Amino acid sequence: MAGEVLNATLSAKPAPAAKEREEAIDPVYLRIRDLVYQTCGIYHSDEKLYLLVAACKRRMTSGGVKATSAKEYLDALTSIAYKEAERRALLNEITIGETCLFRSMPQINALKNVLLPEMATERAKIGLKKLKVWSAGCSTGEEPYTLAMFLMEQQEALLKGWTFEIQATDLNDRSVETAKEGVYGDYAIRNTPDLYKRKYFVVGDGGKLKVKDEVKAKITFQRLNLNDDSRMLFMKGMDLIFCCNVLIYFDMTSKKRVVQHFFSNLMPNGCFFLGHAESLFQVNDQFRLVHLPGTTVYRKPDAGKASKP
Amino acid sequence: MSEGLRDGLRKRIEKVRTLPSSPAVLKPLLELLRLEPEQINLKKVVELVSYDKTIAAQCLRIANSPLYGRARGTESIQAAIMTLGIQRVEDILLTCCLHKFSSGAKWATEPEVYWRHSLGCAAVCRELAERIDFRDPDKAYLAGLLHDLGILVNSLAYPIEYKDVVAQAREHGVPLAEEEMKDLGFTHAESGSILAATWQLPPAITEVIAFHHDVERAPADNPLVALVHIGDLLCRYRGLGYGYEEWRSVELATDPAWEQLTKYGPRLASMDLARFTMDLDAFLPKVQQLVESVFSTKVEHSTVEISR
Repeated sequence: MAGEVLNATLSAKPAPAAKEREEAIDPVYLRIRDLVYQTCGIYHSDEKLYLLVAACKRRMTSGGVKATSAKEYLDALTSIAYKEAERRALLNEITIGETCLFRSMPQINALKNVLLPEMATERAKIGLKKLKVWSAGCSTGEEPYTLAMFLMEQQEALLKGWTFEIQATDLNDRSVETAKEGVYGDYAIRNTPDLYKRKYFVVGDGGKLKVKDEVKAKITFQRLNLNDDSRMLFMKGMDLIFCCNVLIYFDMTSKKRVVQHFFSNLMPNGCFFLGHAESLFQVNDQFRLVHLPGTTVYRKPDAGKASKP
Repeated sequence: MSEGLRDGLRKRIEKVRTLPSSPAVLKPLLELLRLEPEQINLKKVVELVSYDKTIAAQCLRIANSPLYGRARGTESIQAAIMTLGIQRVEDILLTCCLHKFSSGAKWATEPEVYWRHSLGCAAVCRELAERIDFRDPDKAYLAGLLHDLGILVNSLAYPIEYKDVVAQAREHGVPLAEEEMKDLGFTHAESGSILAATWQLPPAITEVIAFHHDVERAPADNPLVALVHIGDLLCRYRGLGYGYEEWRSVELATDPAWEQLTKYGPRLASMDLARFTMDLDAFLPKVQQLVESVFSTKVEHSTVEISR
């Protein structure tokens, strides 16, 4: 079963390479870490700090910025003349290569084992067997396709007789066009369980895998600017919203506004998923922070019910 | 739990207590360390630690592990104790004693899993305590380390039955205490508190063992129970649990323990819990290394220099 594969992935042991990573990190990077957290809300714990260091170093050697040490690079990130551009460039480095199908297994496992069963029970009472999902900032389609395939798989078990629809939006219209194609190489499908590869893809040109039309049919792709208030108002009635590593590019004011839209667009008890290092701290305090194995999710309170202790 | 069951359990715990690997050093050590800090005789502590070569070696290994960090490269017991401070030594020694106590026995669960959870919870509790300005972070460590003593008890007293309990809990992804209640009629909190009483552990720690799954029944003046309850949950949801995933969700902010703890940890109410949760992931490899060092069986004579 697919579930077995999913669980096996989750219980993998921590990488033994931790020892090497610990060696001599310039303390200035701790200040860069705080700066990154303040500006975009993405946080590198000690364990992940090496990723930030690598991203900074890539920026320093790319020729795009004049800096030969962490200190000089911090200066570049704080100088009035360059900071906007350089911060954005650094964020791009941080999120580079992040995208692939089945990237966040803890989120998928939490859905499968906790959130969907809970929703299924609740919904069975009112006979509403429909799920609305929004992948906000879908990039080149990896996230919405993952969700579509996963939910199709669930339709054979837990969600028997259910329907679902996925809205996938991105600001970048080139990304949206690529997403609609649904063609992926080895790198993008490196985490995809074999069962899914067999069931939901056809082999295309050059051995690349192409998402089957039946999967595409579940998803509506469109360009959408999260800052466009009038469009945001029309994304109502969502059960699940995914917005991973997107808000990091927003300043605090617009972040607050966008998240408020997500909050309004969610159904009571609906779930809001962020990237694994992101938090809504000081962005929005209406959501409830809920812990699940290996991940956290923000949930909209059910106004009709007192929260259970 | 019925009286008959309780008596039966008590008898079995007695048996556990007389196992040959019972920690002879534990009692005098605890008595010594319970004195006021200025009254503690460092020489005596060193003596007690050095009394047992395995414990001494393990003490050094733990002192040198990344989780303790400060004493990197320490080769003598005396130096380790000086560097770490008495309170840390208490933690380390208890770890060693517990390990020694349990190492000769048959386990119903994997001992590594138990240790990863206990040491992880200890580290997380201390970290949480420090961040929220809880007055006694070192007590928090000790409480975290010992909170699941009952799992050890169940494992040793009911090796066959308990194996099934753990397997069932794992299969269904339910909290261990819930499965214990269902299958045995009592939880590790109860059996742990019986052993804690036998060992005469400090009351505050015994209460943590007895009530960490039932915070509302705990004495109101012992915030350690709420602290360990939160630390324990965080561990279980962050890869330092009972060796399997519990398919549940928890909202800490509405947990009664959270409210209790805000009275004792002034900074808890304004804490960035999401960020703290992310930080916890850094403990995983460190705790893993520490567990491996505890389980490393060979005594490195070349690096162990017993001070006299």
